[in-house]
Amino acid sequence: MDLIIYENIIDICAICMLVITVMAVMSTYMRKLIQLFAIHSLFLAVLAFVVAFYTDNSHIYITFTLTLVLKVLLIPRFLDYTVERIHVDKEVRSPISTPGSLLICTVLIFAGYLVADPMTESLTTLGRNCLAISLSIVFIGLYMMASRANALSESIGLLLTENGLFLGTMTISYGMPLIVEFGVFFDIIIAVVIIGIFAYRINRTFNSIDTSYMRRLRD
Amino acid sequence: MIGTAVACVQAVMMIAIAPLITGIVRKFKAWMQHRTGADILQPYRELAKLFRKDETVSESTSWLFRAIPYVCFATMTLIAFMIPFFFTGIAAPYGDLIALVYIFTLYRFCMVLGGLEGGSSFGGMGSSRELMMSVLIEPSLLLTLMTLCVLSGAGTDISGVPEMLMSMGVLAFGPALLLAAASFVITVVAENARIPFDNPDTHLELTMVHEGMLLEYSGRSLALMEFSSMMRLVIFMTMLGTLFFPWGISTSVEPLHLLVGFAAIMLKLMVMSFALALLESSSTKFRLFKMPNLLTASFVLALLAIISLYIL
Amino acid sequence: MIHGIEIVVLIPAAAALLCGLSRDERALSWITILAAGACLAAAAWTFWPVFSTGTALEYGMWYVDGLSALFLILTAAVTFAVALYSHGYLRFERAAGGLTLRAEKTYYISLNLFVTAMLCVFLVSSLGMIWIIIEATTLVSTFLVGFYRDEGSTEASWKYLIICSVGITLALLGISLLYASAIGVIGSVSSALDWPVLMSVAADLDPVLLKTAMALVIIGFGTKAGFAPMHTWLPDAHSQAPTPVSALLSAALLNCALYSIIRFYMISEIAIPGFASTLLLIFGIASVFVASMFILNAKELKRMLAYSSVEHIGLIAVGLGIGTTWSVFAALFMVVAHSLTKPILFFCAGNIIQGYGTKEMSAVRGLGKTMPYTAAMLTVGSLAIVGMPPFAVFTGEIALLYSAVSAGMWWLTILLVVLLIIIFAGFTGRVFPMLSGSAEAEVTEPEGPIRAAPLAILAVAMTAMGLFAPESVADGFRMIAESMIGGLA
Repeated sequence: MDLIIYENIIDICAICMLVITVMAVMSTYMRKLIQLFAIHSLFLAVLAFVVAFYTDNSHIYITFTLTLVLKVLLIPRFLDYTVERIHVDKEVRSPISTPGSLLICTVLIFAGYLVADPMTESLTTLGRNCLAISLSIVFIGLYMMASRANALSESIGLLLTENGLFLGTMTISYGMPLIVEFGVFFDIIIAVVIIGIFAYRINRTFNSIDTSYMRRLRD
Repeated sequence: MIGTAVACVQAVMMIAIAPLITGIVRKFKAWMQHRTGADILQPYRELAKLFRKDETVSESTSWLFRAIPYVCFATMTLIAFMIPFFFTGIAAPYGDLIALVYIFTLYRFCMVLGGLEGGSSFGGMGSSRELMMSVLIEPSLLLTLMTLCVLSGAGTDISGVPEMLMSMGVLAFGPALLLAAASFVITVVAENARIPFDNPDTHLELTMVHEGMLLEYSGRSLALMEFSSMMRLVIFMTMLGTLFFPWGISTSVEPLHLLVGFAAIMLKLMVMSFALALLESSSTKFRLFKMPNLLTASFVLALLAIISLYIL
Repeated sequence: MIHGIEIVVLIPAAAALLCGLSRDERALSWITILAAGACLAAAAWTFWPVFSTGTALEYGMWYVDGLSALFLILTAAVTFAVALYSHGYLRFERAAGGLTLRAEKTYYISLNLFVTAMLCVFLVSSLGMIWIIIEATTLVSTFLVGFYRDEGSTEASWKYLIICSVGITLALLGISLLYASAIGVIGSVSSALDWPVLMSVAADLDPVLLKTAMALVIIGFGTKAGFAPMHTWLPDAHSQAPTPVSALLSAALLNCALYSIIRFYMISEIAIPGFASTLLLIFGIASVFVASMFILNAKELKRMLAYSSVEHIGLIAVGLGIGTTWSVFAALFMVVAHSLTKPILFFCAGNIIQGYGTKEMSAVRGLGKTMPYTAAMLTVGSLAIVGMPPFAVFTGEIALLYSAVSAGMWWLTILLVVLLIIIFAGFTGRVFPMLSGSAEAEVTEPEGPIRAAPLAILAVAMTAMGLFAPESVADGFRMIAESMIGGLA
């Protein structure tokens, strides 16, 4: 019975993450996107906490703390600061309409399910079923990066993808070895800072962070 | 036998409190906007007034125009007898969840025809908008109800869904139910023509959908149309309260259980009315072209709900 | 006691620190040159025995075998040449104006950190750590690619950052699947991602998980290695970066990604033989094909060189994909040959761009008269890179074609020969017109022995490899190839 409750909480967190990812695809306001990312990470943190509590594994508590501090608090704060600095709050409409994007999302969710389905049978962890959701989030995040023409939304897409990936590692193997997790978190922090720097630089060079202006280099 | 009697009573009660619920929602809204607001019984008085009034019918209309209010009222009454309110037994166990969806569609279809019959441009505009929305609402409504069928294992049996869900205990309270409920909430708001899809309090010609179709009606016909709209709101709220979150509903005819069931559903209705009022006070109406976004989102949620049954 | 491995990593790291403290332009480049030289010496001294005997060095988080020793020494050598060339290149830029001390400092700090990270890739044992370090190389080198801060380089660096981050994210997903399948065999221990541990249990890994993992890893790291169709960042980054950095990206960074693919490839060939090699074969052929098409239409010299890198990475992938001892030998040989030859061409391109002030090949004429030394080197380099004897790439390509034939893959051989001929025609057809004719503007050769030295050193090394691959080197290659394929049998 206990197991069912744990599994339910994990499933609900994972589904909420997926729903937020879809919402992120719909929204075009930078601040809202950043908030969505923070909530996304919050659900990931809750999920990590449940997994840590269930497995009684101290290193997942560390992952939980890192997620909470970095992804829920620091990174959104930093992105907000970047948005403030470059005075961009709304993205120009993307070439694909919102309903179209949403339908593509459903296709991607199906794809995630199809890819994950054969694998879940060889896994034994709690919440292994979330692999399909994790893959869907990764795919949708990638789609978001491809469909958006704005440096900051692209980076939010990258961060959502990364969260989806953490969801995957959390549910299929209860996270990675601790040193690897540390390294990955470190890389993410650096990546966000560099993205911030480059968004600023793009804004200064092109007078916009619309990446569709960057079409000079092609053969 | 006694079960059927109780079921008939609950259906009649549902019809009877429909204007009350509308009144309560209006009252909540008034409070949130720092108004005193009308009495919660005001909708009853409005309906009574309309029933007493004479009717004016345009010369260009046919018999259909006069028949439609009765059809609309009949469909809603039928549905009131088809779904559980505070007791899981139902008075008219002839239809199932799928039939329910299409009876709603019949209602909407008649309303659209009525809007077109009047021959006014507003009616036509309202009708075409309503059809656009219904195209998007219907699949998600169908999918959410199917999710319930599969999740509970009751098939399309309406009274079986709450019983089976309750017997599943905490297991039922998983992602599929939550997603389906989320999708259904959007459907409820859209289907009942509330903000952000439509504003029930305005006759502003550029934006109205539902009111546009009723514009040509007057007197008793208007009263019937308005009454069926109020019933529709209660019916949808009840569906959310008994099919998706049935906890509290009575499964037997014992008076104590029935009392608890009644208290539970009334409490749920109050909470939902409050939530609806809050939503209507805190958000603005969408532009017409933005409606598909939210409705597609509802569709995606419904689809996710049914997929999650298989994934998880 | 600090072992050789730490020294090799610490030298460039210390150089980055010193560059951060230094306040003089000249000191920056000399620190880097000295560090690169010391690093090369230390790497050769420490890892040559590993390479020539094939006994693995393993302690703590480090693991070095013949394969990593080969890549390490190669990377250190390329770095040394790049450090030498950077000196003259940046001196020219400084003289032309528009280069602040701060920019130069950023350049050298990033360069040294970049080298540190690339060396670490070959040293660590855990595949998770390899992922982290490869991501770190992207992050550090973004600043190098965006060095000029103009529209082109900003665009290129953004593309580079985003595309490589996406790719590498997929690779992490693959690694986590691999980890999941590993802990299914050996339990949840922190060493479950260490390469030797994984190799020892490879046969028991879950094939379903491993297949998806391998596909994701090859796509992910393949993005970084420049496999078509994920190569789109590569020509942009190579053409917009400062020329020494382009050389480093092409000759060292791509190798890092290749190396990690090889590590995964070895594991997967034990558990699911034929899966990874088929994927590599497909990506390899696609890369060679795409590169040949773009080389035919190239307008900018550095872009063409970048596509030539895509082509060579593709050939190496084909070598790995054929999966015989000979083909792996050929692939490894190609790695070395490409890394020694490509910087020559990039350095020549740097000289030409600085001299003529344009990147377009059609605007450059009369190179033979204005820059005789560069022209000679460009000729040698071009002939070498398109696979003319007696240079190293020729040996590699012949070995590759031979292995394809002996593996019975006739169609592959014919396809490769056709594509190589197209590339030959495209490449020489663009380069040789630059040599003749008359220059419109007054152009002279950049002066100084330090500007000429890296070209000469690499040219000699590359020719020597082609003419008489030293016996010990060939033995080392054979040993690695056998250990890789021996694992498969």
